[in-house]
Amino acid sequence: MLQVLIPLTVDALANAAIIFFVAVGLTLVFSVLRVLNVAHGSFYSIGAYAAASLGLWVVSAGLPEWLTFPALVLSAAFVAAIFGPFVEHLLIRWTYGKSEALQILVTFGLFLILEDLQRIVFGVNSLYEDTPMRLLGSTMIGGIVYLNYQLLLIALAILTLVGLKLMISHTRMGKLIAAVVADREISQALGINTNRIFMLAFTLGVFLAALGGALATPTTGVSPGLGADTMVLAFAVAAIGGLGRIEGAAVAAIIVALARVLAIYYAPELDAVAPYLVMLVVLLVRPYGLFHTDTTRRI
Amino acid sequence: MLSLSSVSASIAGIPILRDISFELKPGLTTVLIGRNGAGKTTLLRTIMGLLPATSGSIKVDGTELTTLPAYARAGLGIGYAPEDRRLIPEFTIEDNLLLPALALKLSRAESEERLARVYRLLPELEGMRKRPGGGVSGGQGKMVALGRALMVTRSALLLDEPFQGLAPALALEYARTLGRLREQLPELTLFITESSPQLLADISDEMIRIERGSIETDAEAA
Repeated sequence: MLQVLIPLTVDALANAAIIFFVAVGLTLVFSVLRVLNVAHGSFYSIGAYAAASLGLWVVSAGLPEWLTFPALVLSAAFVAAIFGPFVEHLLIRWTYGKSEALQILVTFGLFLILEDLQRIVFGVNSLYEDTPMRLLGSTMIGGIVYLNYQLLLIALAILTLVGLKLMISHTRMGKLIAAVVADREISQALGINTNRIFMLAFTLGVFLAALGGALATPTTGVSPGLGADTMVLAFAVAAIGGLGRIEGAAVAAIIVALARVLAIYYAPELDAVAPYLVMLVVLLVRPYGLFHTDTTRRI
Repeated sequence: MLSLSSVSASIAGIPILRDISFELKPGLTTVLIGRNGAGKTTLLRTIMGLLPATSGSIKVDGTELTTLPAYARAGLGIGYAPEDRRLIPEFTIEDNLLLPALALKLSRAESEERLARVYRLLPELEGMRKRPGGGVSGGQGKMVALGRALMVTRSALLLDEPFQGLAPALALEYARTLGRLREQLPELTLFITESSPQLLADISDEMIRIERGSIETDAEAA
């Protein structure tokens, strides 16, 4: 049984790593801007398309294959630089302090636009680019074969979690973000340009979503509809962890991934609904998510 | 110094401030007296840009404030301590004090100098510098909010109902601190709102009365 469960678990943790990138971006944007960005999943799929396209170009141009690794991060940064400031400034900024219904309608509209934009730019056919995964190969431990790329994904997610926490507690920008999350008005009175913080946090959120998409490309094909699927899953993870909680997103991503492993092993027909069953149970017991408290740090 | 001319402001379409004009004289303490709901907090929030003025002009040393974003006031040296303290609960007291220095990108030397000045003026803060902002009492929180405003202050210091919610002994202590501040920073322009004038009688140079969003014309100087 372990021979099956352990590889399934590693598989699940690698999936959890990808979902974590998306969910933590969603949660970050929500806690700083107080806008639930329904279009967040689109940045995941745009990141995936950008990474696959850039990777395919690197290979077809005959460049060294190891360049496909930096290409993954580079495409996410590119997507964030293009969409982050632009979307925040032109669209999201006008919804600050407005009703949630309006924010959801506006970002849902953005989601529809971005979905069609992807079809126009990248077409409707699937893209496959798995050079980074092939290059890394696999490791055999105790008779079980592990894909090294999956282990890399897990390591990167842990690094990102630690990096984000350190950024918030130890850097100037992180402290300004934490202050804005805690109290917007006093932050302004003390000299913080909150609009700039909103733009930076939104761009960082876009980067994290796009990075999730980019890092997922070597393990899977990129096709239309990817953004919607990911968005729903990331929202479930963020809600389970407690919206606005960075470590909550990490723990929830793992819980959801493990629930899927158990579902696949014991009741395969429940695989797809497992994350939402977990969400249902958690929210029945703790309506604001596992990590929500009124008094502790909200980011 | 800080001057307002014909300033009006509304909240949710309801006029709160009507045609307010006055000037703070440099180096003096001006006290704004008014009952609850008279518009004292709204006036300070309007000066700070947290609420837009619907008309009129607010100037500091010739700089028009109403067209500037709210955060620019700190850069002009206007310190503000809101009535309800508003500390960042997860920051230590010292990090709360240093937040404006971070926001204004002050040099390390300048930040340390300003922090030392705050500890010199409010020595009780140094003893609680490592405690979380969420873990101090209401009275201590008022002192921290005062210290944080002093980190910003170069031109004017605005205090919104500093005695509100303080026990009588603490209110007296706070009033003494303000007296000390007055002595040690003679160049400071101080603007304090309050509902009752007694506690501030000793240090106030000018008194303005606000009633239903308007400055009372028969305001007597104390």
